[in-house]
Amino acid sequence: MTAYIEFKDVHKAFSGKPVLRGMSLAIGKGEVMFIIGTSGVGKSVTIKHLIGLLRIDAGEIWFDGERVDQIPERNLAPLRQRVGMVFQSSTLFDSMTLAENVALPLRKHHNMRHHAALDEARRRLAQVYMEDYADRYPAELSDGMRKRAAIARTLAGGPARRNPAGDLQTWPDVVLFDEPTTGLDPISARRVDRLIRELATTLGVTAVVVSHDPPSIFSIADRVAFLYQGVVHVVATPAELRASTDLIVQQFINGQSSGPMETPGF
Amino acid sequence: MKRFIVSGIETLGAAVVDAVHAVVELWLVYVSTIAGIVRGLSRRRGGRGRPKGEILRQLYYIGNKSFIFIIVTLGFIGMVMTYQACLQLSRVTGDYSQVGQQFLRLIVSDFGPTLTGMMLATRVGAGIAAEIGSMKVTEQIDALRMSGVLPIDYLIVPRFIASIIMTLVLATIGAVVMYAAGGLTANYSWGVNPNLFFDLDLARGRHFALFAVKSIAYGAAIPVVAGFCGLRARGSSEGVGWATTAAVIGSSFAVIVLDFLISAAALFVTGGDL
Repeated sequence: MTAYIEFKDVHKAFSGKPVLRGMSLAIGKGEVMFIIGTSGVGKSVTIKHLIGLLRIDAGEIWFDGERVDQIPERNLAPLRQRVGMVFQSSTLFDSMTLAENVALPLRKHHNMRHHAALDEARRRLAQVYMEDYADRYPAELSDGMRKRAAIARTLAGGPARRNPAGDLQTWPDVVLFDEPTTGLDPISARRVDRLIRELATTLGVTAVVVSHDPPSIFSIADRVAFLYQGVVHVVATPAELRASTDLIVQQFINGQSSGPMETPGF
Repeated sequence: MKRFIVSGIETLGAAVVDAVHAVVELWLVYVSTIAGIVRGLSRRRGGRGRPKGEILRQLYYIGNKSFIFIIVTLGFIGMVMTYQACLQLSRVTGDYSQVGQQFLRLIVSDFGPTLTGMMLATRVGAGIAAEIGSMKVTEQIDALRMSGVLPIDYLIVPRFIASIIMTLVLATIGAVVMYAAGGLTANYSWGVNPNLFFDLDLARGRHFALFAVKSIAYGAAIPVVAGFCGLRARGSSEGVGWATTAAVIGSSFAVIVLDFLISAAALFVTGGDL
Protein backbone atom coordinates (compact mmCIF):
# COMPACT_ATOMS: atom_id res chain seq x y z
CA MET A 1 0.00 0.00 0.00
CA THR A 2 1.30 3.45 -0.90
CA ALA A 3 0.87 5.85 2.00
CA TYR A 4 -1.45 8.77 1.26
CA ILE A 5 -0.94 10.19 4.76
CA GLU A 6 2.14 9.34 6.76
CA PHE A 7 3.25 10.25 10.27
CA LYS A 8 6.95 9.51 10.73
CA ASP A 9 8.47 9.35 14.22
CA VAL A 10 6.28 12.21 15.50
CA HIS A 11 7.02 13.69 18.92
CA LYS A 12 4.85 16.17 20.80
CA ALA A 13 4.95 17.39 24.39
CA PHE A 14 2.76 19.87 26.27
CA SER A 15 4.45 21.87 29.06
CA GLY A 16 7.27 19.35 29.09
CA LYS A 17 4.93 16.37 29.35
CA PRO A 18 5.38 14.04 26.35
CA VAL A 19 2.21 12.90 24.61
CA LEU A 20 3.51 11.48 21.33
CA ARG A 21 6.87 9.70 21.61
CA GLY A 22 7.86 8.65 18.11
CA MET A 23 4.42 7.88 16.69
CA SER A 24 4.45 6.49 13.13
CA LEU A 25 1.43 5.60 11.01
CA ALA A 26 0.68 5.22 7.29
CA ILE A 27 -2.85 5.63 5.91
CA GLY A 28 -3.88 4.62 2.38
CA LYS A 29 -6.02 6.63 -0.05
CA GLY A 30 -9.76 6.03 0.34
CA GLU A 31 -9.25 4.14 3.58
CA VAL A 32 -11.40 4.49 6.71
CA MET A 33 -8.74 4.44 9.42
CA PHE A 34 -9.74 4.52 13.07
CA ILE A 35 -7.32 5.79 15.71
CA ILE A 36 -8.28 4.42 19.10
CA GLY A 37 -6.80 4.55 22.58
CA THR A 38 -7.50 5.76 26.08
CA SER A 39 -8.34 9.39 26.88
CA GLY A 40 -5.33 11.73 26.78
CA VAL A 41 -3.17 9.34 24.77
CA GLY A 42 -2.83 11.84 21.90
CA LYS A 43 -5.40 10.74 19.31
CA SER A 44 -6.90 14.19 18.68
CA VAL A 45 -3.45 15.76 18.93
CA THR A 46 -2.27 13.41 16.17
CA ILE A 47 -4.91 14.42 13.64
CA LYS A 48 -4.64 18.15 14.43
CA HIS A 49 -0.96 17.99 13.45
CA LEU A 50 -1.90 17.01 9.90
CA ILE A 51 -3.67 20.33 9.26
CA GLY A 52 -1.40 22.62 11.24
CA LEU A 53 -3.77 23.28 14.15
CA LEU A 54 -0.93 21.98 16.32
CA ARG A 55 2.78 21.83 15.52
CA ILE A 56 4.94 18.77 16.09
CA ASP A 57 8.13 18.99 18.15
CA ALA A 58 9.99 16.47 15.98
CA GLY A 59 9.34 14.04 13.15
CA GLU A 60 7.66 14.41 9.77
CA ILE A 61 4.13 14.41 8.39
CA TRP A 62 3.48 13.72 4.72
CA PHE A 63 0.28 14.08 2.71
CA ASP A 64 -0.05 13.03 -0.94
CA GLY A 65 3.71 13.12 -1.47
CA GLU A 66 4.23 16.52 0.18
CA ARG A 67 5.70 17.26 3.59
CA VAL A 68 3.08 19.31 5.43
CA ASP A 69 4.35 19.75 8.99
CA GLN A 70 6.55 22.72 8.03
CA ILE A 71 3.99 24.69 5.99
CA PRO A 72 3.57 28.14 7.59
CA GLU A 73 0.11 29.16 8.83
CA ARG A 74 -0.42 31.70 6.04
CA ASN A 75 0.04 28.98 3.38
CA LEU A 76 -2.16 26.32 4.97
CA ALA A 77 -5.47 27.25 3.28
CA PRO A 78 -5.02 24.89 0.27
CA LEU A 79 -4.15 21.98 2.59
CA ARG A 80 -7.16 22.75 4.80
CA GLN A 81 -9.37 22.63 1.70
CA ARG A 82 -8.12 19.17 0.84
CA VAL A 83 -8.14 17.92 4.44
CA GLY A 84 -11.27 18.87 6.38
CA MET A 85 -12.04 18.24 10.01
CA VAL A 86 -15.21 17.52 11.97
CA PHE A 87 -14.56 18.60 15.55
CA GLN A 88 -15.66 16.73 18.65
CA SER A 89 -18.14 19.41 19.75
CA SER A 90 -19.38 20.17 16.20
CA THR A 91 -18.19 23.83 16.61
CA LEU A 92 -21.08 25.30 14.64
CA PHE A 93 -21.29 29.07 15.12
CA ASP A 94 -24.25 29.82 17.39
CA SER A 95 -25.10 33.17 15.79
CA MET A 96 -25.59 31.60 12.34
CA THR A 97 -28.25 29.28 10.95
CA LEU A 98 -27.14 25.85 9.70
CA ALA A 99 -27.23 27.12 6.10
CA GLU A 100 -25.07 30.13 7.03
CA ASN A 101 -22.64 27.86 8.89
CA VAL A 102 -22.26 25.64 5.84
CA ALA A 103 -22.10 28.67 3.51
CA LEU A 104 -19.13 30.15 5.38
CA PRO A 105 -16.40 27.91 3.87
CA LEU A 106 -18.10 28.18 0.45
CA ARG A 107 -17.76 31.97 0.63
CA LYS A 108 -14.25 31.93 2.03
CA HIS A 109 -12.66 29.03 0.15
CA HIS A 110 -14.63 29.38 -3.10
CA ASN A 111 -15.34 33.15 -3.15
CA MET A 112 -19.05 32.45 -3.72
CA ARG A 113 -21.57 35.26 -3.32
CA HIS A 114 -23.76 35.19 -0.23
CA HIS A 115 -27.00 33.92 -1.82
CA ALA A 116 -25.27 31.45 -4.12
CA ALA A 117 -23.37 30.08 -1.12
CA LEU A 118 -26.62 29.69 0.84
CA ASP A 119 -28.23 27.78 -2.05
CA GLU A 120 -25.23 25.50 -2.29
CA ALA A 121 -25.23 25.08 1.50
CA ARG A 122 -28.80 23.76 1.36
CA ARG A 123 -27.68 21.12 -1.16
CA ARG A 124 -24.79 20.13 1.12
CA LEU A 125 -27.22 19.84 4.04
CA ALA A 126 -29.43 17.58 1.91
CA GLN A 127 -26.42 15.31 1.47
CA VAL A 128 -26.45 14.66 5.22
CA TYR A 129 -30.29 14.49 5.41
CA MET A 130 -30.55 17.92 7.13
CA GLU A 131 -32.16 20.06 4.41
CA ASP A 132 -35.33 20.58 6.49
CA TYR A 133 -33.31 22.26 9.23
CA ALA A 134 -31.31 24.69 7.08
CA ASP A 135 -32.87 27.79 8.67
CA ARG A 136 -32.63 26.59 12.25
CA TYR A 137 -29.93 27.67 14.71
CA PRO A 138 -27.54 25.09 16.22
CA ALA A 139 -28.99 25.59 19.72
CA GLU A 140 -32.38 24.34 18.44
CA LEU A 141 -31.02 20.97 17.31
CA SER A 142 -29.90 17.71 18.87
CA ASP A 143 -26.24 16.72 19.13
CA GLY A 144 -26.63 14.23 16.29
CA MET A 145 -28.15 16.83 13.99
CA ARG A 146 -25.40 19.31 14.81
CA LYS A 147 -22.80 16.66 14.07
CA ARG A 148 -24.33 15.97 10.66
CA ALA A 149 -24.46 19.70 9.89
CA ALA A 150 -20.79 19.95 10.89
CA ILE A 151 -20.02 17.17 8.40
CA ALA A 152 -21.88 19.16 5.72
CA ARG A 153 -19.81 22.25 6.55
CA THR A 154 -16.60 20.22 6.27
CA LEU A 155 -17.68 18.85 2.88
CA ALA A 156 -18.49 22.39 1.72
CA GLY A 157 -14.92 23.49 2.39
CA GLY A 158 -13.37 20.97 -0.04
CA PRO A 159 -12.31 21.55 -3.63
CA ALA A 160 -15.06 21.59 -6.29
CA ARG A 161 -15.28 18.56 -8.62
CA ARG A 162 -17.83 16.27 -10.29
CA ASN A 163 -19.39 13.51 -8.21
CA PRO A 164 -20.13 10.03 -9.68
CA ALA A 165 -23.54 11.31 -10.85
CA GLY A 166 -21.83 14.06 -12.86
CA ASP A 167 -22.93 16.97 -10.62
CA LEU A 168 -20.49 19.66 -9.58
CA GLN A 169 -19.91 19.29 -5.86
CA THR A 170 -17.35 20.13 -3.19
CA TRP A 171 -15.70 17.67 -0.87
CA PRO A 172 -12.25 17.28 0.68
CA ASP A 173 -9.88 14.43 -0.14
CA VAL A 174 -9.56 13.59 3.55
CA VAL A 175 -11.93 14.17 6.45
CA LEU A 176 -10.66 13.94 10.01
CA PHE A 177 -13.37 13.02 12.51
CA ASP A 178 -12.67 13.75 16.18
CA GLU A 179 -14.88 11.41 18.22
CA PRO A 180 -17.86 11.81 15.87
CA THR A 181 -20.22 9.57 17.87
CA THR A 182 -19.29 10.66 21.40
CA GLY A 183 -22.34 11.90 23.30
CA LEU A 184 -24.81 10.67 20.66
CA ASP A 185 -27.63 8.19 21.21
CA PRO A 186 -27.04 4.81 19.47
CA ILE A 187 -29.32 5.60 16.52
CA SER A 188 -27.74 9.00 15.82
CA ALA A 189 -24.31 7.42 16.25
CA ARG A 190 -25.05 4.75 13.64
CA ARG A 191 -26.38 7.43 11.25
CA VAL A 192 -23.10 9.28 11.57
CA ASP A 193 -21.23 6.00 11.00
CA ARG A 194 -23.27 5.42 7.86
CA LEU A 195 -22.42 8.90 6.60
CA ILE A 196 -18.71 8.32 7.11
CA ARG A 197 -18.87 5.03 5.25
CA GLU A 198 -20.91 6.61 2.42
CA LEU A 199 -18.34 9.37 1.99
CA ALA A 200 -15.59 6.78 1.58
CA THR A 201 -17.61 4.52 -0.70
CA THR A 202 -19.34 7.04 -2.97
CA LEU A 203 -16.84 9.91 -3.10
CA GLY A 204 -13.58 8.11 -2.29
CA VAL A 205 -12.95 10.28 0.76
CA THR A 206 -10.17 9.10 3.07
CA ALA A 207 -11.57 9.15 6.61
CA VAL A 208 -9.41 9.27 9.72
CA VAL A 209 -11.63 8.72 12.72
CA VAL A 210 -10.64 9.21 16.36
CA SER A 211 -13.03 7.12 18.42
CA HIS A 212 -13.70 5.14 21.57
CA ASP A 213 -16.89 3.65 20.20
CA PRO A 214 -16.56 -0.14 19.59
CA PRO A 215 -19.73 -0.43 17.43
CA SER A 216 -18.32 2.24 15.08
CA ILE A 217 -14.90 0.64 15.02
CA PHE A 218 -16.17 -2.82 14.21
CA SER A 219 -18.82 -1.74 11.68
CA ILE A 220 -17.12 0.80 9.39
CA ALA A 221 -13.33 0.76 9.92
CA ASP A 222 -11.05 -0.62 7.23
CA ARG A 223 -8.14 -0.60 9.66
CA VAL A 224 -7.58 0.43 13.25
CA ALA A 225 -4.48 2.00 14.81
CA PHE A 226 -4.29 1.50 18.56
CA LEU A 227 -2.33 4.31 20.25
CA TYR A 228 -0.70 3.49 23.57
CA GLN A 229 2.00 5.35 25.52
CA GLY A 230 2.65 7.81 22.70
CA VAL A 231 3.23 5.29 19.92
CA VAL A 232 1.09 3.13 17.65
CA HIS A 233 0.92 -0.16 19.52
CA VAL A 234 -0.99 -2.13 16.88
CA VAL A 235 -2.38 -1.53 13.38
CA ALA A 236 -4.92 -4.14 12.33
CA THR A 237 -8.22 -4.77 10.60
CA PRO A 238 -11.23 -4.92 12.94
CA ALA A 239 -11.30 -8.71 12.61
CA GLU A 240 -7.59 -8.98 13.41
CA LEU A 241 -8.06 -6.66 16.35
CA ARG A 242 -10.92 -8.73 17.73
CA ALA A 243 -8.82 -11.89 17.38
CA SER A 244 -5.69 -10.29 18.84
CA THR A 245 -4.03 -12.08 21.72
CA ASP A 246 -2.32 -8.87 22.86
CA LEU A 247 -3.49 -8.39 26.45
CA ILE A 248 -3.43 -4.59 26.23
CA VAL A 249 -5.58 -4.62 23.09
CA GLN A 250 -7.95 -7.13 24.66
CA GLN A 251 -8.27 -5.05 27.81
CA PHE A 252 -9.14 -1.95 25.76
CA ILE A 253 -11.66 -3.46 23.34
CA ASN A 254 -13.36 -5.43 26.12
CA GLY A 255 -13.42 -2.35 28.38
CA GLN A 256 -11.85 -4.13 31.36
CA SER A 257 -10.97 -1.89 34.29
CA SER A 258 -8.07 -4.09 35.40
CA GLY A 259 -5.31 -5.47 33.25
CA PRO A 260 -1.81 -4.73 31.99
CA MET A 261 -2.71 -1.31 30.55
CA GLU A 262 -1.31 1.64 32.47
CA THR A 263 -3.93 4.39 32.58
CA PRO A 264 -2.80 7.77 33.96
CA GLY A 265 -4.90 8.96 36.89
CA PHE A 266 -6.24 5.52 37.89
CA MET B 1 20.12 25.84 49.83
CA LYS B 2 21.90 25.69 46.47
CA ARG B 3 19.00 23.72 45.01
CA PHE B 4 16.57 26.33 46.36
CA ILE B 5 18.51 29.18 44.69
CA VAL B 6 18.77 27.29 41.37
CA SER B 7 15.06 26.50 41.48
CA GLY B 8 14.25 30.15 42.19
CA ILE B 9 16.41 31.34 39.29
CA GLU B 10 14.79 28.78 36.97
CA THR B 11 11.31 29.90 38.00
CA LEU B 12 12.21 33.55 37.53
CA GLY B 13 13.82 32.81 34.17
CA ALA B 14 10.76 30.89 32.99
CA ALA B 15 8.50 33.78 34.05
CA VAL B 16 10.67 36.27 32.15
CA VAL B 17 10.68 34.08 29.03
CA ASP B 18 6.87 33.71 29.26
CA ALA B 19 6.47 37.47 29.67
CA VAL B 20 8.69 38.18 26.65
CA HIS B 21 6.72 35.63 24.60
CA ALA B 22 3.45 37.28 25.69
CA VAL B 23 4.67 40.75 24.69
CA VAL B 24 5.85 39.47 21.29
CA GLU B 25 2.52 37.67 20.72
CA LEU B 26 0.58 40.78 21.76
CA TRP B 27 2.59 42.83 19.30
CA LEU B 28 1.89 40.25 16.56
CA VAL B 29 -1.87 40.42 17.30
CA TYR B 30 -1.70 44.21 17.01
CA VAL B 31 0.25 44.07 13.71
CA SER B 32 -2.10 41.38 12.36
CA THR B 33 -5.08 43.55 13.27
CA ILE B 34 -3.68 46.52 11.35
CA ALA B 35 -2.87 44.17 8.45
CA GLY B 36 -6.44 42.84 8.67
CA ILE B 37 -7.84 46.36 8.30
CA VAL B 38 -5.65 46.93 5.24
CA ARG B 39 -6.76 43.56 3.81
CA GLY B 40 -10.37 44.56 4.47
CA LEU B 41 -9.95 47.78 2.50
CA SER B 42 -8.55 46.04 -0.52
CA ARG B 43 -10.60 42.87 -0.34
CA ARG B 44 -12.81 41.65 -3.13
CA ARG B 45 -16.19 40.17 -2.30
CA GLY B 46 -16.15 36.85 -0.47
CA GLY B 47 -12.60 37.24 0.84
CA ARG B 48 -11.27 36.03 4.15
CA GLY B 49 -12.54 38.86 6.30
CA ARG B 50 -15.14 39.85 8.82
CA PRO B 51 -18.83 38.93 8.74
CA LYS B 52 -21.29 41.35 7.19
CA GLY B 53 -22.67 43.95 9.61
CA GLU B 54 -20.28 42.93 12.37
CA ILE B 55 -18.87 46.45 12.88
CA LEU B 56 -22.40 47.83 13.38
CA ARG B 57 -23.17 45.04 15.85
CA GLN B 58 -19.98 45.83 17.78
CA LEU B 59 -20.72 49.59 17.71
CA TYR B 60 -24.06 48.79 19.34
CA TYR B 61 -22.53 46.38 21.84
CA ILE B 62 -19.70 48.71 22.90
CA GLY B 63 -21.55 52.00 22.55
CA ASN B 64 -25.17 51.56 23.48
CA LYS B 65 -24.54 49.07 26.24
CA SER B 66 -21.79 51.18 27.85
CA PHE B 67 -23.56 54.53 27.55
CA ILE B 68 -25.37 54.61 30.90
CA PHE B 69 -22.38 53.08 32.68
CA ILE B 70 -20.06 55.83 31.38
CA ILE B 71 -22.29 58.86 31.99
CA VAL B 72 -23.24 57.77 35.51
CA THR B 73 -19.64 57.01 36.48
CA LEU B 74 -18.11 60.12 34.95
CA GLY B 75 -20.96 62.30 36.20
CA PHE B 76 -20.40 61.23 39.81
CA ILE B 77 -16.62 61.55 39.52
CA GLY B 78 -17.11 65.06 38.11
CA MET B 79 -19.26 66.01 41.09
CA VAL B 80 -16.82 64.58 43.64
CA MET B 81 -13.79 66.18 42.02
CA THR B 82 -15.38 69.64 41.82
CA TYR B 83 -16.70 69.41 45.37
CA GLN B 84 -13.25 68.44 46.68
CA ALA B 85 -11.52 71.16 44.63
CA CYS B 86 -13.90 73.81 45.99
CA LEU B 87 -13.55 72.45 49.51
CA GLN B 88 -9.76 72.70 49.39
CA LEU B 89 -9.92 76.17 47.84
CA SER B 90 -12.33 77.33 50.55
CA ARG B 91 -9.68 76.40 53.12
CA VAL B 92 -6.88 78.23 51.31
CA THR B 93 -7.97 81.26 49.28
CA GLY B 94 -11.75 81.05 48.88
CA ASP B 95 -11.32 82.12 45.23
CA TYR B 96 -13.32 79.81 42.91
CA SER B 97 -12.81 81.80 39.70
CA GLN B 98 -10.35 79.31 38.18
CA VAL B 99 -12.14 76.09 39.19
CA GLY B 100 -14.20 75.67 36.02
CA GLN B 101 -11.42 76.57 33.59
CA GLN B 102 -8.84 74.30 35.21
CA PHE B 103 -11.39 71.52 35.58
CA LEU B 104 -12.14 71.71 31.85
CA ARG B 105 -8.46 71.47 30.93
CA LEU B 106 -8.10 68.49 33.24
CA ILE B 107 -11.13 66.74 31.77
CA VAL B 108 -10.19 67.36 28.15
CA SER B 109 -6.50 66.56 28.38
CA ASP B 110 -6.75 63.64 30.80
CA PHE B 111 -9.73 62.56 32.88
CA GLY B 112 -12.35 62.41 30.11
CA PRO B 113 -10.63 59.89 27.86
CA THR B 114 -8.70 58.08 30.61
CA LEU B 115 -11.66 57.43 32.89
CA THR B 116 -13.76 56.39 29.89
CA GLY B 117 -10.91 54.11 28.82
CA MET B 118 -10.71 52.56 32.27
CA MET B 119 -14.46 51.94 32.35
CA LEU B 120 -14.43 50.40 28.88
CA ALA B 121 -11.39 48.29 29.77
CA THR B 122 -13.42 46.56 32.48
CA ARG B 123 -16.72 46.23 30.67
CA VAL B 124 -15.75 45.80 27.02
CA GLY B 125 -12.40 44.09 27.69
CA ALA B 126 -14.05 41.42 29.82
CA GLY B 127 -16.79 40.84 27.23
CA ILE B 128 -14.36 40.47 24.33
CA ALA B 129 -12.06 38.11 26.25
CA ALA B 130 -14.97 35.96 27.45
CA GLU B 131 -16.48 35.65 23.98
CA ILE B 132 -13.23 34.90 22.16
CA GLY B 133 -11.96 32.71 25.03
CA SER B 134 -15.13 30.60 24.91
CA MET B 135 -14.72 30.19 21.16
CA LYS B 136 -11.09 29.17 21.70
CA VAL B 137 -11.75 26.45 24.27
CA THR B 138 -14.68 25.02 22.28
CA GLU B 139 -12.47 24.79 19.15
CA GLN B 140 -14.59 27.34 17.23
CA ILE B 141 -11.43 29.32 16.46
CA ASP B 142 -9.93 26.18 14.91
CA ALA B 143 -13.16 25.70 12.97
CA LEU B 144 -12.82 29.25 11.63
CA ARG B 145 -9.27 28.53 10.51
CA MET B 146 -10.47 25.34 8.81
CA SER B 147 -13.19 27.34 7.01
CA GLY B 148 -10.52 29.59 5.48
CA VAL B 149 -11.24 32.48 7.84
CA LEU B 150 -8.48 34.41 9.57
CA PRO B 151 -9.61 34.60 13.24
CA ILE B 152 -8.06 38.04 13.79
CA ASP B 153 -9.84 39.49 10.73
CA TYR B 154 -13.10 37.88 11.77
CA LEU B 155 -13.05 38.52 15.51
CA ILE B 156 -10.67 41.34 16.43
CA VAL B 157 -10.75 43.73 13.46
CA PRO B 158 -14.49 44.60 13.80
CA ARG B 159 -14.09 45.11 17.56
CA PHE B 160 -10.96 47.20 16.98
CA ILE B 161 -12.70 49.58 14.55
CA ALA B 162 -15.88 49.80 16.65
CA SER B 163 -13.92 50.32 19.86
CA ILE B 164 -11.93 53.27 18.44
CA ILE B 165 -15.09 54.98 17.19
CA MET B 166 -17.11 54.38 20.33
CA THR B 167 -14.31 55.28 22.76
CA LEU B 168 -14.04 58.66 21.02
CA VAL B 169 -17.83 59.14 21.12
CA LEU B 170 -18.27 57.94 24.71
CA ALA B 171 -15.28 59.92 25.97
CA THR B 172 -16.80 63.06 24.42
CA ILE B 173 -20.20 62.41 25.99
CA GLY B 174 -18.59 61.41 29.30
CA ALA B 175 -16.45 64.57 29.35
CA VAL B 176 -19.49 66.77 28.68
CA VAL B 177 -21.46 65.05 31.45
CA MET B 178 -18.49 65.27 33.83
CA TYR B 179 -18.06 68.98 33.12
CA ALA B 180 -21.79 69.69 33.49
CA ALA B 181 -22.04 67.67 36.72
CA GLY B 182 -19.04 69.53 38.10
CA GLY B 183 -20.59 72.89 37.17
CA LEU B 184 -23.89 72.03 38.86
CA THR B 185 -22.07 70.86 42.01
CA ALA B 186 -19.96 74.01 42.13
CA ASN B 187 -23.04 76.17 41.70
CA TYR B 188 -25.37 74.39 44.18
CA SER B 189 -22.79 73.55 46.86
CA TRP B 190 -20.41 76.50 46.66
CA GLY B 191 -22.36 79.19 44.85
CA VAL B 192 -19.96 79.39 41.88
CA ASN B 193 -21.48 81.40 39.04
CA PRO B 194 -22.18 79.09 36.05
CA ASN B 195 -20.94 81.74 33.59
CA LEU B 196 -17.64 81.76 35.44
CA PHE B 197 -17.43 77.95 35.68
CA PHE B 198 -18.35 77.24 32.07
CA ASP B 199 -15.78 79.67 30.66
CA LEU B 200 -13.98 77.99 27.72
CA ASP B 201 -11.29 80.67 27.33
CA LEU B 202 -8.41 78.52 28.60
CA ALA B 203 -9.22 75.50 26.44
CA ARG B 204 -6.84 75.23 23.49
CA GLY B 205 -6.77 73.12 20.34
CA ARG B 206 -3.85 71.09 21.71
CA HIS B 207 -6.02 69.95 24.63
CA PHE B 208 -8.66 68.62 22.24
CA ALA B 209 -5.94 67.01 20.10
CA LEU B 210 -4.64 65.24 23.20
CA PHE B 211 -8.21 64.18 24.00
CA ALA B 212 -8.57 62.63 20.53
CA VAL B 213 -5.15 60.94 20.57
CA LYS B 214 -5.77 59.36 23.97
CA SER B 215 -9.29 58.20 23.08
CA ILE B 216 -8.08 56.58 19.86
CA ALA B 217 -5.10 54.95 21.61
CA TYR B 218 -7.28 53.48 24.39
CA GLY B 219 -9.94 52.40 21.91
CA ALA B 220 -7.28 50.57 19.90
CA ALA B 221 -5.54 48.99 22.91
CA ILE B 222 -8.57 47.50 24.69
CA PRO B 223 -9.79 45.07 21.98
CA VAL B 224 -6.24 44.03 21.05
CA VAL B 225 -5.28 43.22 24.66
CA ALA B 226 -8.64 41.58 25.42
CA GLY B 227 -8.66 39.64 22.14
CA PHE B 228 -5.11 38.49 22.77
CA CYS B 229 -6.11 37.23 26.24
CA GLY B 230 -9.12 35.43 24.75
CA LEU B 231 -6.99 33.77 22.08
CA ARG B 232 -4.61 32.49 24.80
CA ALA B 233 -7.43 30.82 26.77
CA ARG B 234 -6.69 27.16 27.45
CA GLY B 235 -8.62 24.21 28.83
CA SER B 236 -12.26 24.77 29.74
CA SER B 237 -14.41 27.36 31.56
CA GLU B 238 -11.63 27.95 34.09
CA GLY B 239 -9.36 29.03 31.24
CA VAL B 240 -12.02 31.47 30.03
CA GLY B 241 -12.23 32.90 33.56
CA TRP B 242 -8.48 33.42 33.68
CA ALA B 243 -8.53 35.02 30.22
CA THR B 244 -11.29 37.42 31.29
CA THR B 245 -9.45 38.44 34.45
CA ALA B 246 -6.22 38.88 32.50
CA ALA B 247 -8.06 41.00 29.92
CA VAL B 248 -9.46 43.39 32.53
CA ILE B 249 -6.09 43.76 34.25
CA GLY B 250 -4.17 44.02 30.96
CA SER B 251 -6.57 46.52 29.34
CA SER B 252 -6.67 48.75 32.44
CA PHE B 253 -2.89 48.59 32.69
CA ALA B 254 -2.57 49.47 28.99
CA VAL B 255 -4.80 52.54 29.49
CA ILE B 256 -2.69 53.76 32.42
CA VAL B 257 0.62 53.19 30.63
CA LEU B 258 -0.65 54.84 27.43
CA ASP B 259 -1.93 57.79 29.49
CA PHE B 260 1.53 58.27 30.93
CA LEU B 261 3.34 57.86 27.60
CA ILE B 262 1.01 60.12 25.62
CA SER B 263 0.99 62.79 28.34
CA ALA B 264 4.79 62.69 28.53
CA ALA B 265 5.05 62.94 24.74
CA ALA B 266 2.60 65.86 24.72
CA LEU B 267 4.59 67.69 27.39
CA PHE B 268 7.74 67.10 25.36
CA VAL B 269 6.14 68.32 22.11
CA THR B 270 4.58 71.43 23.68
CA GLY B 271 7.64 72.23 25.76
CA GLY B 272 5.66 71.78 28.99
CA ASP B 273 2.97 74.28 28.01
CA LEU B 274 -0.10 72.04 28.21
